[in-house]
This record gives sequence, structure tokens and C-alpha cells, in this order.
Amino acid sequence: MNIVVAMKQIPDLQQVRIRNRQPVLDGVPMTFGSIDKNALETALQLKEAVGGNVIVISAGTEELEDTVKEALAAGADEAYLVLDDELEHIESSVSAHLLAELIKQIENIGIILFGEGSGDNYSGQVGPRIAEILGLPEVGYVCDIELEDSRVKVTRSLEDCEEVVRVSLPAVLTVMADINEPRIPSVTQILKAGKKPQQILEVEDIGFDLKGDKKIVTLSSLAPENKRKQITVKNGEELVDALLTEGVIRR
Amino acid sequence: MAGIMIYSDKDELSFELLSGAKLISGHTGLPINAVCINNSEQAQGLAARGAETYLINNEAINLADSQGMASALESAAIQLDANIILLSSNRRGKELSGRLAEKLAAGCLTDVGSIKVNLDKIECMRNSLGGAVLAAQMITSDYKIIAVEPRVFEEMAVGKEGPINNLKIEAQAAELEVLEQRAKVGDTANIESANILVAVGQGLKSENDMLIIKELAEALGAEIACSKPVATDKKWLPEERIIGLSGKKCKPDLAVILGISGQVQFTVGIRDARTIVAVNTDENALIMQMADYIMVADLHDLVPEMTRALLVKKRLNGVRL
Amino acid sequence: MEFKLSKEQELIQRTAKEYAEKSIEPIVKQIEDENKVPDEVIEGLRELGLLCLPVEEKYGGAGAGFEGFVVGLEQLARVSGGVGIFVSVVMLGTSTIAVHGTEEQKEKYLTGTCKGSWIPSVAMTEPDGADPRMLKTTAKKDGDYFIVNGTKRFITNTNFAGPMVVFAKDADTGRINGYIVDKFCEGYSISEPWDKLGSKGAFLSDVYLKDVKVPASNMLGTPDEGFQTLKVTMAMGKIGLSAIYLGNILAAYDEAFNYSKDRIYLGKPISQFESVRNSIVDIAMKYEAAKLMTYRIGYLADNTANKAKLVKDSAMTKIFVTETAVDVSRIAMNVFGSYGLMKDYKMSRIYRDAIVGPQIEGTANLLKTVVATDMYK
Repeated sequence: MNIVVAMKQIPDLQQVRIRNRQPVLDGVPMTFGSIDKNALETALQLKEAVGGNVIVISAGTEELEDTVKEALAAGADEAYLVLDDELEHIESSVSAHLLAELIKQIENIGIILFGEGSGDNYSGQVGPRIAEILGLPEVGYVCDIELEDSRVKVTRSLEDCEEVVRVSLPAVLTVMADINEPRIPSVTQILKAGKKPQQILEVEDIGFDLKGDKKIVTLSSLAPENKRKQITVKNGEELVDALLTEGVIRR
Repeated sequence: MAGIMIYSDKDELSFELLSGAKLISGHTGLPINAVCINNSEQAQGLAARGAETYLINNEAINLADSQGMASALESAAIQLDANIILLSSNRRGKELSGRLAEKLAAGCLTDVGSIKVNLDKIECMRNSLGGAVLAAQMITSDYKIIAVEPRVFEEMAVGKEGPINNLKIEAQAAELEVLEQRAKVGDTANIESANILVAVGQGLKSENDMLIIKELAEALGAEIACSKPVATDKKWLPEERIIGLSGKKCKPDLAVILGISGQVQFTVGIRDARTIVAVNTDENALIMQMADYIMVADLHDLVPEMTRALLVKKRLNGVRL
Repeated sequence: MEFKLSKEQELIQRTAKEYAEKSIEPIVKQIEDENKVPDEVIEGLRELGLLCLPVEEKYGGAGAGFEGFVVGLEQLARVSGGVGIFVSVVMLGTSTIAVHGTEEQKEKYLTGTCKGSWIPSVAMTEPDGADPRMLKTTAKKDGDYFIVNGTKRFITNTNFAGPMVVFAKDADTGRINGYIVDKFCEGYSISEPWDKLGSKGAFLSDVYLKDVKVPASNMLGTPDEGFQTLKVTMAMGKIGLSAIYLGNILAAYDEAFNYSKDRIYLGKPISQFESVRNSIVDIAMKYEAAKLMTYRIGYLADNTANKAKLVKDSAMTKIFVTETAVDVSRIAMNVFGSYGLMKDYKMSRIYRDAIVGPQIEGTANLLKTVVATDMYK
């Protein structure tokens, strides 16, 4: 059984600084979203339990060839990538179609895993979209997975309740950040990462028109304006007085 | 083809979406249709708020099955001639949005934090780059799917009664099988609806110090919330209390933020608070730049001091403790 | 010229850092108090390939070379100097065997260390000092064996089973050679542990060798290669120490920088005072200089066929980095003031660790003699 994990290359958000309300991305290294790492760990644990192959899929700029080593070092067996420098800011529907094409090249798929949201946009659309493209069942916000032959029993964590459901395989699952703690890759695995198979496709190979399929336009993208009072207070009493005066706490 | 359709699995969120739909309709003149699935109580609630309500009663449609749900809403959108679809950006709503968007070849925006209508253009604001920036985006496809965060709109008030129509939707039995549904055990705090929040971060030295935080929260009448590491790494608080990109987005009247440096992944969940107090030992902490009241101090000193000041002032004003 | 870690090296750095912060940091005090690296940490290091970074893969090592080794060890030693020394001595033992050992010796001892449970040691120093000319330990040929007698001082990891490379004088020819002694064999005993001022954690003791029977096949290299073996050991030890005290500098840098932002004095963080800012800049510059030298010696170790030739460069690096660590700790301590003296503050541990560096494996003065001899020859 092949276990597919979709991961998104994003700038290391800890290192993004804001200047003049614009994010400064120069020199910020690329990495994978943190919940994507939980999805990968889920796949690795499934592989350890029942065997199979873990295949990472991702679409992004040329740097992805290097970034994907993080996933291969953590234990993924193979990577299928779409590389194109135009893929820096693509919308969810485009990601979904590119990744779906990658998935179609993989045989004998059991589970397709996603993080519940990407590290940068956290929009959570790509998993459900891919399930729709491929006509597969999908369960989101999963916090526990139990494989049963050709089916899977999963626990979905909603805001107010947990729901245990069963679906047939193959299925798309998106996992929560607290489903597991991603492992630390061993040095041996790190050094093997570059030698693991990477299938690389170009956008043209897939026959996809990046520009023709735009469904979203971004009008502006700025750091939120800071309209705070910025009053420095000296002690607890002064603070309480200010808050009472402001009327945000009642006497 | 034109019209607005709203749907949420949660009654109160559907009432909020109704207000959102009104805003869009006010600018565009498009009709609003509210859809309910296997939930006549919600249908009555929506109708009581003046909505043209469509109730789908079909036991084959399973709320837990995004595939079947998306199919049902696709049919509803086509039957009702609606191209703008407002959904709630809770977990079920987000799952549904992606799937429905793909069915309708629609552009879709989730986690929408506000909506502005310019003539007939609907501008949606949402966080991007882990919350570092706020993007104004617009959907250009024919079908538009907008998933709106809870509490962006006020619930529509009860008013002139609207009609409840039955909407017939064919559905195949879901492949997905629900085995069990259980309430989440333990903490049921809803930090999203609290008026006052006390949020703690990694500046808190030990779990024992949570006591002084509780005392302050009590004196303020506040709920306690936290940054992600306090819940996921230290496990001092349950994950329901996490504020931030992967936690809750809160808009309290007052947020007292203690010992949190203010990485965007956190601030994105609190920056819409009306008043922000930041207490941190680092004067240059990012959180200080987004605060109304800034106090450079160790929270372990400030918190008891603040609690005392609050209690004294309440007593002076004759409040019984 | 490329001053950039490869993606793989970046990931090795991240693995070492994450492991150190997750599994070593919480028990640093215990490691120091007990003077023992716990078994679960040793296993953790072994599983992640951090114990045997430069050992070739065919013997179960990570195959990360010495570039990978210095990058990884820096991060481990940033959290614990004791764990740094522990890992460095494992490298020292395995490298000495790797350079002059036979295939059989490598197969047995390297694999036993990387995949098994062995922890190697190297025994050179004696009560009279570390100068090879003063060695008193002897090896006397007796049929298929050497009979080894002597006392070795300040030897690390003597409490673990595994190979110990013992340098001894041939009782007949007077030539110095390395002999692989299986620790805990008959005639092997150790003293009570020494309790160092800092860089604590790795077990340190004297070793008594009384009529220890070493198979003749356990001699390292040919009889006339002994001095070369010794030079390799000396060079490798300095590479390890450079990485350890680079990690110490990094720790002082992190601590002082963060403290300067947190500590409020006269109503503002001390980072607002120019004197403190200058101190932090001094630390940053010194760290960069020490890093360049340390990473370079890792590069040289990977790219020099005859490792005995690294003696001069490794000595210069070791002198510079360990002395810089003492400087940096002093500057960082001044940023902290009295708080830095308190054992609750990491700074006190970092300071004690730093003090140790220049005194071990050749004091600065001794090593400068070595460097000067090479320069003026």
C-alpha cells in the first residue's frame, strides 16, 4: 500500500519580518508547514504498523528539490514533485489540480494525508478539493486513525465533539497538529535523503495552464495597520485605573 | 444566474451568515436563500429572522459526510439559482467549502474575517503568510464560495417572518459510516465568546504560577487563554484555549496578554480585540507594538499587584467579594 | 569558496539541536551532579547517528564526515559540555582506529561502537604529563601477546565497556605505539572519578593497567607508525574540543543576548545601554570567528588524506576557540552581573564549562610550542 502525504513548501515564518507593512521574504529559508510534518509522521507510523511506502507529494519552486529532503530524511521513501518558479503563490484550486495529477501517477494508494491547514494560508481547501477531483471519501480534522483491511476508522475532532467514522480506502484524511509529535530525523536518514527517488514533473508535463485558471485575485496584502494607543503604564494600579476609565472592565 | 445562498451546520452561525448575506444583498440586490439540511429547528430560526428558507429533509444526507453534503448543496445552489455561497468557517464548514468549490469549479476563500462590498465586488479579508499579513481578495469565478469565521457578523435579529419551503434533493446513501459521536470531555471553555481574556505564554515559569493567573481572571471576570506552546508543549492548559492561527480567533473587549512575545501565529488570533494590554519583560517584544497599554514587567510581579488593585477598587465601590 | 552549510548539514544541525533541547536540556543538572551521561541519552544519540557522526556507514556510522561532526557536536555541547566531551571521546577512539586500524579491528571496534553498546576511550596522558617522551606505560612482547603495564591519568569514558586505545612504549625497542585494550579485561581497573570544575558529565578517572595481556593483533598500525597514530589522535582530539567550545560560545551568546532583552534596569531592558550592546556585538564577532575556524578544521579533516598533518591547524583552532570561549563567557557574565553566578542560571554552567577548555588536551602554551615548531622547522 502506498501512503501519500501532501506537503507545502513555505517560508520559515519565524524568520519573516515586516517592514513598511510588507513582509520581507528575502533570505528567509524554505521549510514545510508544521502541521504537514504531523501528516508525515502519521504516514510513517502507519507504515511502521502495516508496512507500505510513504510518498511525499508537493508543488513549488525549484528550491523544493532541496526542501523535500526534510521529508525524505524524516523517513518518506519517495517524492513526487511539480517544480516551477511560477508556483510560488498559487491558489488552492491550482494546487489541488497539480497534486491530483501527481497522485494519479501513483498506484495502489491507501491513504492520502494532509495537515488540516498549510503553514502559511491555513485555508484547508486542498485536501477536500483533491478528494472531490479523485472522487474519494474525505475526513477532516482527524486525531486518531485505525486501519482495518480495506477500510479505516478515524476520529474527527470538531469544536464541540469527537466523531468516530469509518470510510473505505482509498481515502483523503486531514490531520490535527496534536495527533502526534513528529520524530527527529536521524543523521543516517538525512544523508540518505538526497539519494531517495524523486519523480519530477514540470507544469507543462501535466498540461496545466497556470494563468488560465485563476479564480482568486489578491487586491492587497499588507500587515495590519497598527492603531493602538501604545500607552506605557508604570504599575498594576495605574493599569487597572486606565482600564476602568476606558470602561472595558466594570467596577 | 444570480443569488446568495447560505448554509451552516450550526444554527447560530447560520444566523450570523444571514447578516452577512444581507450586507451583500444590500449592495447587489441579489436574493437570499437560506438552506437547512435535516434541521427543521434551524429552519424555523432562520425563517423567524426573515429568511427565505429552504429545508432539505433527506435522511440519506449525512452531516459527517462532506461528499454527500457537497453534492446536496451543489444541487441546492443550482435549483435556487445561487452563485454566491456563504458557509461558516468552522471545521465542518471548511471541509465542505473545499469540496463544494471543486464541484462548482469555484474560487473559494475560507477563514474570512471581514467582507466589504464595492458596487458588485465582494472583497474578503483573510490572514495570509501565517497571519503576518492581511490579504484583501476577491473571487473571480462564476460561483463564489466564502466561508466566514464565527462572530464576524452579529446574529440576525428576529423580525418579519420568512417562509419555509421544502427543497427536494436526491441523495445516495453515504459511504461514510458514523460509529460514534461523543462530547469532548473536560474543559468546555469558549474563549471565543468571552468578553475579557487573560492570555498566558511562555513567560509563565511554572504550572504552579497558573494560580495567580486564575486569581486575576476571577477578579476580572475573564476566561483564561494561552499561546500554543503552553497547551501543546507544556500541557498546562487544554488546546481549546489556544489563541492563534491554528487555535481560536477571539475578539474580546479586553485582552490581557501576559508573557507572550507576539509571534504572528499568536497575534492573528487576538488582534481584533478592542483593547489590548501587554505585559512583558522585553520592551521590544512584538506584542508591545500592538498593545493599547504597555507594561514592561515580569508577569509574576505584575499579576498579583493587578489582582490586588482590582479587588481594592471593587471593594471601594461596594461590590461584595 | 563557499561559506554555507549544505541542506544535509543544516538538517544535521537541526537534529542535534532538537535532540539536545528535548532530551538533554531537561536533565543537564542531573548529568553534571551524577557525572554520568545516562544510558537513554547514549541510546538516543546512537539511534540518531549523533554518537558516531564521522564513522563510515559500512561500520554503522552516520558517514557525515568531520564537517557534519563539528556542526552536530556544536549543538550538543551548546546544551551540555559534558555530553560534548563524551561524544568527542567516542569520535577520538573511533577515528584513531579508523585511521590506522586493520580491517578486522575496524569491523570489530567501530561496528561494536556504532551499532553495539561499546563506548571507546583513548589513554595517552599519565601522572607525569602528556608528552610522549615521558611515557612510562610499557608494552612487552610475549609470544602472540603484549603485556601492558602502567597508569593513565584523566581518561574519559573509562567506566564503559569497549576499546581503549592505550599509548605505550615498547619495552624492548622504546618505540611508542597504540594498543587496543578491551576495557574491563583482566588487569584493568580504574580510580574513583575525578570531579572537574566544569564541562562535567563524561566519566573521568585514572586507569591502572597491571599485566594486561593484549593480543599482538591489537597493535594499531605497524610498529614504526606509532608516532603517526599519536599525531592523528592529537589532531582529532583538538577538532572535537574546538566544536565543543564553539558550542559553549554559542550558548553564552544565546544566554547573554536573551538576558539583555529580558533584564529590566532603571525601567528599561539592559539591551538599551550602549555598554551592554557593545558586549553583545563583541560576543557575536567572536562567535563568528571561532565558527569559521572550527568549520574549516572540519573541512580540512575531510579533505586531508594524511590526518597526521592536521596537528598544526587543529592546535591553532583549539587554542583560539577555547580561549575565545573563556573571553566570551567573561563578557557574557558581565552582562548578567550577580545573577550569572547563581546556579539556577545557565550562565553559571556555561562559565564553568568554558574555563575547562584551555586546560585540557594540551594547554595553550604547550600547543603553541607545537605550532611554533611546525612553523620554524
